[in-house]
Amino acid sequence: MAVGESSRIRAILRAQWKSFLAQRHAGGRAGRAIAALMWVVWYGLWALVGASAGVFAASASPGMLSIALPWLLLGVAAFWQLAPILTANLGAAIHLKKLLIYPVSERDLFGVEVMLRATAALEVLLVLAGIALGLLRNSAVPRWAPVPALLLYTCFNLLLAVGTRSLLERLLAMKRIREVVVLFIVFCVAIPQFMAAMGMPAGLRTFLLTRSQPVFPWAAAAQLAAGARVLTSALSLLAWTALALAFSQWQFRRSLRFDAAAAHASGASSRAGLARRTGLIIPLVSSLFRDPLAAIIEKDLRALVRAPRFRVIFIMGFTFGAVVWWPMLYQGGARSAAVYPVVVSGYALVLLADLVFWNHFGFDRAGAQLYFTMPVPFRDVLRAKNLAAGIFVAIEVTVVMLVCLIIRVPLGPGIILETYWVAFVLAIYSMSAGNLSSVYHPRPMDPEHSWGRASAGRSQVYLLLVFPLFLIPIGLAYLAAYAFASRTAFFLVLAFDTLAGAVLYRIATPSAVAAAERGREQFLGALGQSSGPIVTE
Amino acid sequence: MSESTPAIAVSGLRKVYGTKAAVDGLTLTVPRGCFFGFLGPNGAGKTTTIRMLIGLAPPTAGSIEILGRSMPRDAIEIKKRIGIVPDDSVLFDRLTGAEFLEFAGRMYGLVRAVARERSGELLALFDLDGEPRKLIADYSKGMRKRLTMAAAVIHRPELFLLDEPFEGVDAVGARMMKDLLTAQVRNGATVFLTSHVLEVVERLCDSVAIINEGRLVLERSIAELHAGSETLEDTFVRLVGGERLMEKLEWL
Repeated sequence: MAVGESSRIRAILRAQWKSFLAQRHAGGRAGRAIAALMWVVWYGLWALVGASAGVFAASASPGMLSIALPWLLLGVAAFWQLAPILTANLGAAIHLKKLLIYPVSERDLFGVEVMLRATAALEVLLVLAGIALGLLRNSAVPRWAPVPALLLYTCFNLLLAVGTRSLLERLLAMKRIREVVVLFIVFCVAIPQFMAAMGMPAGLRTFLLTRSQPVFPWAAAAQLAAGARVLTSALSLLAWTALALAFSQWQFRRSLRFDAAAAHASGASSRAGLARRTGLIIPLVSSLFRDPLAAIIEKDLRALVRAPRFRVIFIMGFTFGAVVWWPMLYQGGARSAAVYPVVVSGYALVLLADLVFWNHFGFDRAGAQLYFTMPVPFRDVLRAKNLAAGIFVAIEVTVVMLVCLIIRVPLGPGIILETYWVAFVLAIYSMSAGNLSSVYHPRPMDPEHSWGRASAGRSQVYLLLVFPLFLIPIGLAYLAAYAFASRTAFFLVLAFDTLAGAVLYRIATPSAVAAAERGREQFLGALGQSSGPIVTE
Repeated sequence: MSESTPAIAVSGLRKVYGTKAAVDGLTLTVPRGCFFGFLGPNGAGKTTTIRMLIGLAPPTAGSIEILGRSMPRDAIEIKKRIGIVPDDSVLFDRLTGAEFLEFAGRMYGLVRAVARERSGELLALFDLDGEPRKLIADYSKGMRKRLTMAAAVIHRPELFLLDEPFEGVDAVGARMMKDLLTAQVRNGATVFLTSHVLEVVERLCDSVAIINEGRLVLERSIAELHAGSETLEDTFVRLVGGERLMEKLEWL
């Protein structure tokens, strides 16, 4: 008996839901609790942002709405399209290899993919819902207007995200093109940064945002949602949505026909070349240690260097970082420029966190079994993983310094010491928390995927909720420097931070080791999980 | 530790997942120098038993002694002396075969030079030396299994715990692996293997045990089995084979 297309979509979503539940059950209880707590806090914050936007939209005058609403919707679009790229997490995707063997139509797959784009930016859906509710309560706005306008705008963003994602996925699967794409994205991100630093030309601002010219989708959606210039703005938004639909279908179809195997085969020879080049250097680094530490460090260095996902993130650390924080060099004076290397290094550490601190065993996947079947204490495995992470942090910070030299950021011995030391302190706190998180909440990761599949929000949870905790000791050092007007005070507090970090590490690591030994079945079970019909990692 | 102790001695071994006992009161002794086949239908508890023997899954109840030492108390000492081929891949995709074998050797306590030398020899023996810079990610299933086997022998273990070692391996590779294991047993090592290919087990093993629904249903030497009129397959199907339901599937 044949089944309808909607049944197939339901079957895919049901299989994914079951896989999701199984994965949730695979992790430890504490890991699940922490993840759930983070989820609640993160989306709670965004719900608050949505509620604030709603309160504003409910009480704003038509004049105020005409100014602020386009900005709000531009922010929504920017977050939706850019946040996944900036955080290197493109959101969940259909596992084409698993689904293409079934008689599922392209239309079905496309439909699921469009729905999945919401996963990359659940946060802005909360904001849009807040705005819609607020506008509905605003007596100056016709009641029929907000919901259709914002729904259409959501469709536009979903479709645009499908097209962008499909295009990026293919480009990032191609050797060499991948690095060019990353640099191109850096360039694109640089434009708003330069504008922020130099100020946006008034004419451009008017062109992008004013009510009188609903040329761009955010301006058109804002007008339509407020019930102004209905015909023009509706036509404009419909045209943009139709364009986004054509673009997304075109790109999605190309992705379906994309010969990943061919790209993989061409990648194989270049990987072999990389293996040859790194084969000489890495043993020199690991020779500083004894086996089994040296063997594990060597293995980790080789494996990470050859993982496209790690390489892309590593490059982003010193390119994106340098660009994103560029305005500091212009706007904050000499002191602001002096902390620029520290800030860029910190940002690079945040990007690297998911790969080198937060989930040590993600790339090992089922191979992590070896750490329990070989005659090596698990404590040594964690120490080796931390040392390998430390080596990459040191290299990343060194490259950041070189970038600073190239762009003529003033670098004295004091700034260099400050940057390395701050990075070291951040790393030691991250390692302490990361050892626990790697054991309590392990997730398998595919090194072939240049970009993560989780929601961009998860990286931002780390960025906004966890990382600031590690920044408190650093902040205290800067506070001491400010209060006593003394670099000595700064370094004294930093020395104390280092000591506290070492104590934290000494407490956290044995606890992580004990948890791994105790819960090794769940730990290995979680790492050995394969994905469902939709890839979320 | 005395050489007279059995290679494996488990008593009252039990592993419960939720309310289901995957292994239920298993008591088994495998003497040293024996080629031992551990058989059972899918889901019988073979892999769970091996996972408990190698320390990957703590038993709910019962005791395990490997080479005269208690697992998990002496886990590190035991692991130094056993070679393992688990059911799923334990390889690191981003290493080459040579790098992985060297890594495994060093983890088992070999010095780097020895690990490297043995790695080269094993790659040649397992016919994996054709493309030395090829990453494991680009290996076929059979190549991955052969590499796992090579890693299991690099430190000359006294006991091999092998879960479906020939699965996915071509005839030539499988033959070579069988010859290697037979030679190891001749030299005093013990092999404990699971396999669904009963002809292979019948030809290689000295003794077999059959497990079904977590319980041991037979432990006998191949010679004893051959003394009767049944083949191993007949015995296996008689002990674990259920009613065949295909007749009911009219649409098939």
